[in-house]
Amino acid sequence: MNPVQKIYRLLLFVIAITIGWTILPFFAPLIIMLILSFLFTTIFLQAVDYIEGYTKSRALGVIIILSLSITLSILFIGSFFSNLGLQIKTFTSKIQKDNFAIDLENLSEKIKDFLPEFFSNWVPESDKIILIAKNFMINIFQNVLALLGSAGSLVFISFMILIFTIILLIEYHDFKRSLVKFIPNRYLEIGLRTIYNIEQQISKYLRGQILAASSVAILSIIGLFILNEIGANITLIVFIGVIAGLANLIPMVGPFIGMIPAILIAIMNNIENEPALTHYLFNIIPSPFYIFDIILMFIIVQQIDNNFITPLVIGESVGLHPMVVMIVLLIGGTLIGPLGMLFAIPAAGVLKVLLSEIIFISKNSHLL
Amino acid sequence: MEALYKNFFRNKNNSDPILKALEKVPIFENLSNNELKNIAQLTHEREYKSSEYVFKKHAPAEGMYVILEGNVEIKDPESGKIFAKLHSGDFFGELALLDEEPRSATAICNSPSRLIGFFRTDLLTLIKRYPELGNKILLNLSRVLGERLREANKKLTKPK
Repeated sequence: MNPVQKIYRLLLFVIAITIGWTILPFFAPLIIMLILSFLFTTIFLQAVDYIEGYTKSRALGVIIILSLSITLSILFIGSFFSNLGLQIKTFTSKIQKDNFAIDLENLSEKIKDFLPEFFSNWVPESDKIILIAKNFMINIFQNVLALLGSAGSLVFISFMILIFTIILLIEYHDFKRSLVKFIPNRYLEIGLRTIYNIEQQISKYLRGQILAASSVAILSIIGLFILNEIGANITLIVFIGVIAGLANLIPMVGPFIGMIPAILIAIMNNIENEPALTHYLFNIIPSPFYIFDIILMFIIVQQIDNNFITPLVIGESVGLHPMVVMIVLLIGGTLIGPLGMLFAIPAAGVLKVLLSEIIFISKNSHLL
Repeated sequence: MEALYKNFFRNKNNSDPILKALEKVPIFENLSNNELKNIAQLTHEREYKSSEYVFKKHAPAEGMYVILEGNVEIKDPESGKIFAKLHSGDFFGELALLDEEPRSATAICNSPSRLIGFFRTDLLTLIKRYPELGNKILLNLSRVLGERLREANKKLTKPK
């Protein structure tokens, strides 16, 4: 290839990237919907294949698996929101009491006495606390309203993802065959191997993540149950556990997200509880509302997950260096936010497979 | 009406050339019409020009081919020795369904050809989707390999 041709190719490449980058925001929601549908397809594919083997009907397999998953999700979400409603009702009745402002003032004084001296200046004055609490409540209401406002588009997006998933699950093997038709004869076998390796990589990663998330959820529930036994008074422990498990799907940041609902509920439940306010972790570290107990419990769960469960169930499935994992997460997070972080690792895994196959092809091109 | 008639009262004999070709392959022997259709849904029909390689010696091997139309030559590129000249209905490369060893010979088309590819990934999918059918194919494949082993043993033990 002569230098002019090289420059033309480079120029074309840059133009293509620029156009792609410009139109990406318009197609981003559709792409995310398709990626999510593909991920759901990968999760359910084996189960659908298994049922098809026995019922001889793929559509029946898809109906059974999807209706089961949707029913369970609706039951879980419905029960979560009704319990959360009760929780908020109790909390609101607590803060609506006339003496709530006085309680809050006492609380700030108690925390001041309780903390080491150099910390006490950090605690705001009681009137400021009331203002902060009010703003906090207003923020919560605003967020709930915003959530309800976006519920319409959420329903539409979920419906579209469901439709895409049904189509992909029913037609998965035919889609794959159609894709294979585009591979030139020379690269047919290597292409099939690449597709298979990518499928394996994604499904292995997803299965591992689901297992790890389930184990984090179960361990968190056990941990919260133990904390309740020592008087932490945390309600909705099953839901907190499940949220912690789901949050765990986002590497590195997830575990911290998982702690937040537990801490919030502990504060909500123990706001007028004297023993909880003056609680000490191991009788040494001041831990008002059992906050540090909860943090410690989640750290222990994380350590069990990172050192025993994840290596066992995910193992070397993606095989990326921790440094690469962090960089990839940062890139994913910067490009499309939390969803980007969720997809970053499997996407990097797919790129790794593609790269190794390209290297293999370039080394063995004389054999193809 | 004709389509409806065909759907409900279709002839049991296969008119689809792919099904016809598949039922002649020993590893797909004794399979029902529906089972053959399930296999056909996973296979890949490919067209090759004359003198086009199907695969080269030492290339990574992924599966077998059945010739629908045309002629394929199996040969050693280094010595030029021709192992087999295959025609429509013949099959080759079936060992690759089981092991991941590279190809031991080169396959090249002598005329414009139409082949059906059935690969290891398809067999794995078939085992997952239809375990009973997968088992039948594996059993047939073992029988073919057993026969080959017996023949090889006979050749080795034959007094010179």
